[in-house]
Amino acid sequence: MGVVITLPPEPRPVPPLDADPGRARAFAADLLAASAQVDDLGELAAGRARLGSWTGAAASAYHDAIRPTGRTADAMSLALRGVARRADQHADALEGLLDRRERLVGERDQLSAAVAGLRSRVDGAPAEQAPELEAACQDCAGRVRTYEADLDRWSTDLISEEEAMREAFARVLTLEQVERRYGGVPDPADEALDSLPGAGATPADVRTWWDGLTHEQQLALIAASPGSIGNRDGIPPWARAAANTVALDRDLADWEHLDDLGVITDDERQWLGNARAAQEAIDAIEERTDPVTRAPVPAQLYLYDPAAFGGDGAVAVAAGRLDTADDIAVTVPGFGTDGQSADFQAARVADLYEATRSVDGVGDVATMFWIGYDAPDNVPWEGEGWDGGGVAGEEMAAAGGERLADLLDGLRASRDGEPAHLTAIGHSYGSTTTGHAAHDHGVPVDDLVFVGSPGVGGDTDHVSDTGVDPDHVWAGANSRDPIADLSNHGWLHLESALGGTGLGDDPAEDDFGAQRFRAESTDRPVFLDVGEHSRYFEHDSESLYNLSQIVAGNYDAVLEAGPVTDPWWSGPQDPEWGRDPARHDTLDEP
Amino acid sequence: MDVPLSELATTAHVWDEQHLDLQAAADQVVEAPTSGFTAAVAGAAERFTTTWGRHLTDLAASAESHADGLRETAADLACTDGLVAEGGLALTLQLREIR
Repeated sequence: MGVVITLPPEPRPVPPLDADPGRARAFAADLLAASAQVDDLGELAAGRARLGSWTGAAASAYHDAIRPTGRTADAMSLALRGVARRADQHADALEGLLDRRERLVGERDQLSAAVAGLRSRVDGAPAEQAPELEAACQDCAGRVRTYEADLDRWSTDLISEEEAMREAFARVLTLEQVERRYGGVPDPADEALDSLPGAGATPADVRTWWDGLTHEQQLALIAASPGSIGNRDGIPPWARAAANTVALDRDLADWEHLDDLGVITDDERQWLGNARAAQEAIDAIEERTDPVTRAPVPAQLYLYDPAAFGGDGAVAVAAGRLDTADDIAVTVPGFGTDGQSADFQAARVADLYEATRSVDGVGDVATMFWIGYDAPDNVPWEGEGWDGGGVAGEEMAAAGGERLADLLDGLRASRDGEPAHLTAIGHSYGSTTTGHAAHDHGVPVDDLVFVGSPGVGGDTDHVSDTGVDPDHVWAGANSRDPIADLSNHGWLHLESALGGTGLGDDPAEDDFGAQRFRAESTDRPVFLDVGEHSRYFEHDSESLYNLSQIVAGNYDAVLEAGPVTDPWWSGPQDPEWGRDPARHDTLDEP
Repeated sequence: MDVPLSELATTAHVWDEQHLDLQAAADQVVEAPTSGFTAAVAGAAERFTTTWGRHLTDLAASAESHADGLRETAADLACTDGLVAEGGLALTLQLREIR
């Protein structure tokens, strides 16, 4: 009696899954933004529009008319918010199902090949091989059964998730359903808002308040009152970004609608420009690929106020996740910066992100540009008013320095666990602002960097005035950058000589005591050229290479440059002027 | 009269703004992308967005109706009090829908 060989069955193919979690999230975001708008109506009907002191027959008729409108709006807001949240969860589930499907496909391909291999071995095999082949077939059949069970579970999970999402849509389709489920239901956001810390609360106090809320209350605030937390120092970055995204989506819908109708005001048009720039900044970052994981780089809208500073706007967008990054850099831009500079600044921090992630051994990184102060940028001949002249003095930098210090304190207070390695990088007039933040208020950073600096503030004469460890105060100055040449040198202090003009000392000079790093362009011009002022963040440049090493805490790899000196017998001497610069790869590419 | 007519006019404008904002919200919901869902869900999503587009448009219309009602009431009260004749153009302009 010979051994009977039973060939294993062919594993079933994995069904296709045609879904796009990103689009599902965009759907959820649109609903959430719309719910915020509806929530505003509910608040209005109960508050500002109520005209409670109005009496008489006409007043009664009015109050009777708006009461149901307010109630309906509140219920609709909660319903829309609920569906948005479920859609977001559905997007997460789809992502998981797609990942599982990919693994199942790989497994199925392997099993198919194994089955085909066994078939060809069995065909014409001598009798003495039969026991061994039968054992191999049994083993393979067992693996096919396991795969089939996994496939069934995957299919069941998909069907369940689809059913749950359809149910979420169906149960609040009509207004009667909305009223039954949410009519008169208190909004969790309202109770949370009642205990919101006042304007003078510290970031630590705000964080304590936030941690004391339920998760339901936190999500409700993000949806119903994004403006109350989106720009509040102490709120965790993920929550600020979520709230600011709701506000941004709502604003874009509102102002674009008004623009389409032809009734948008000049102010609103400017705010719309700022909102669009913020969205473009987010998109620009999300189009980049992480050099290590090859996944899209995530973006976080950490600050969003399109009407700030008389319409110039305030915005900060991070590449990476501020909540969990091991190394964080905050860049502070200078003259000419306003809300509409967001996409330009996004490209810079995206380059810095890529370069830092390309450093050997680096962990998670986040790089954020911060346009959170009123930088000098307007010139009267463009009809924008006149604050461009502010670049000649430190007033705007001093005011900005206070805001920057608050931002950095807030970032520290908002994170859990091990503190991140934090670097502040001030460029151009932004370096003056950063210098003021450090000198005037103290900044909780590990590294302080000045690039292309026209001066770091009149009272900051030495690294010891910054409050940061002197070994961790850095200066990058391109020898052909005329802006970096504007600062005080040696004994000549322009602000003393010229009655207050000038922006302070040169951080690249020997007397200042900073660690100067190489920042020359390999194709630099022969003479000073203002174009060099904008090249500190370019890929493969000395400057970006060194910035990325500093941000990653890889100090030994930073390429030093000799400081500028100012001998009594001559003008400032820059040893970088005559050195041949070198190209440095700053991006790991496949 | 416990509230000035100007306050009625201002509140009417606030309702006008809500009307516009809610119309924008209605468009946003109608245009929300449903293509990310699987075929088994997309139909339900489209039905939801279409239906809710109507709900939000109706809510927007309510807001506009409150605005119009306030303006009518204010105009009636002003005529009753003879204020239109006295206040002339300024009051008339206040009671007009701006956008």
